[in-house]
Amino acid sequence: MTSAFFETGTRLSAAVAGALPSTAAEEGGWSRLFSVEWGLSVWTLLTFGTLLALLARYAWKPLMAALDARERSIQSDIDEAGRQRDKAEALLAEHREQMAEGRRRAQALIAESREAAEELRRQLEEKAREESRTIIANARREIERERDAAIVQLRREAVEVAMAAASRLLEERIDGERDRRLVMDYIDELSVSGEGGAWQ
Amino acid sequence: MRGASLPLPGATAQEHGGEFDLGEMLAHHILNSNTYELPLIGAVRLPQWDPVAIAGLQVDLSPTKHVVLLLLAAVITFVTILGASRTVAAQGVDRAPKGLANAIEAIVVFLRDDLCKEYIGHGYQRFVPLILTLFFFILAMNLLGLVPWGGSATGNLAVTAALALVTFVVTEVAGFFKLGPKGYLKTIFFAPPGTEGAVKYLMMALMTPVEILGKIVKPFALAMRLFANMTAGHLLIFSLLGFIFFFGDLALGRWFIAGGSYIFVSAILVLELLIAMIQAYIFALLSAVFIGLMQHEH
Repeated sequence: MTSAFFETGTRLSAAVAGALPSTAAEEGGWSRLFSVEWGLSVWTLLTFGTLLALLARYAWKPLMAALDARERSIQSDIDEAGRQRDKAEALLAEHREQMAEGRRRAQALIAESREAAEELRRQLEEKAREESRTIIANARREIERERDAAIVQLRREAVEVAMAAASRLLEERIDGERDRRLVMDYIDELSVSGEGGAWQ
Repeated sequence: MRGASLPLPGATAQEHGGEFDLGEMLAHHILNSNTYELPLIGAVRLPQWDPVAIAGLQVDLSPTKHVVLLLLAAVITFVTILGASRTVAAQGVDRAPKGLANAIEAIVVFLRDDLCKEYIGHGYQRFVPLILTLFFFILAMNLLGLVPWGGSATGNLAVTAALALVTFVVTEVAGFFKLGPKGYLKTIFFAPPGTEGAVKYLMMALMTPVEILGKIVKPFALAMRLFANMTAGHLLIFSLLGFIFFFGDLALGRWFIAGGSYIFVSAILVLELLIAMIQAYIFALLSAVFIGLMQHEH
């Protein structure tokens, strides 16, 4: 195995040393590597020229056109999307505005109606108070009238009773100085209170 | 003779009497050739044409292995891109893209927006087809080098030089039209602003060679970078693979070497896949940068 590798080494160096000269001697060999074969250059120019002309006419032109068309299409899509977005934003802003406006109006309406209700309540209250005052006053007047009537009635009744009592007394014992004086006093008393306006 | 030794790739075994020549194997796989090897059929001899005189030069236009790969890459590129283009166009604007067409579309959009738009700037649209075609064509050629029985045309300096020449010519011509004759001449005969009289001419005499050199170095670097990267990758892969055959007659060591080579080659193939894309991208990127630099030269 060692000898195998040793032999490998020597052969390798021999190959490297011998490769170039050995072929260079035959048929031009490696010197051909750096010599330009003009015929091949002419072939290259012709081939490349033809290829360039054909590709430019049949491949690059339609390809570039397709790429440009797609670019334009994508650009227009982007533009369109931008426009749509702007529109949507404008619409959204408008909606927000409208909603705020609506809310404002609703609040104004509520406030207004509350005020109206308040006003109405106040008016009703006022009216009710007025009415109650009127009712109370009427009642009071009525009561006074009733009382006055009652007083008159009472006086009348009292006179009746007194008269009845007096007639009974008169029938029973209309004699005696003391009875006479009693009746006289009573009548006097009545006339005194009658000066207060009770008989009017 | 061949039956006695390992089934070596190509004709190397027959030519060397069964003894494996690593250098020959590398040259066979990387250099251009008049034959193309196909599975089952074997080596196909490509037609030989007489050289044609172009501008006083004798040019051999015979199709070679790299010409075949070049054309194959062009066809693959055309079919793939055309298909993707059709799919994307057919999808319309309402459906999301998907599949291979979407992958190609993503690369196209990336190259258009992050290369052309970024580095060329105003009026970049005219250069988009060029940059895109450069990228996909180079990518196809690079990737063909990783396919069995394939090979990289971009591993040939003649191919990368021609592509760099395209970039160079486009850069200069587009620059000329953009800057006007006077502005363009300034990119060659350059004097720093603010210099007057004799100093101006002295600076011009000094700077002009630098400017011209700068113009030439750019495409040269472009051609060399692509060529060197692709060649280096293939050299590495085939060297590692070659070890298997090189040490094929070792009793025990060959198994270790074969296993090691297999693991290394697998890893490097993955790396090469990345490099194939990166180099195509860099070529396209630098082309865009050079064109853009020239467009904005003042």
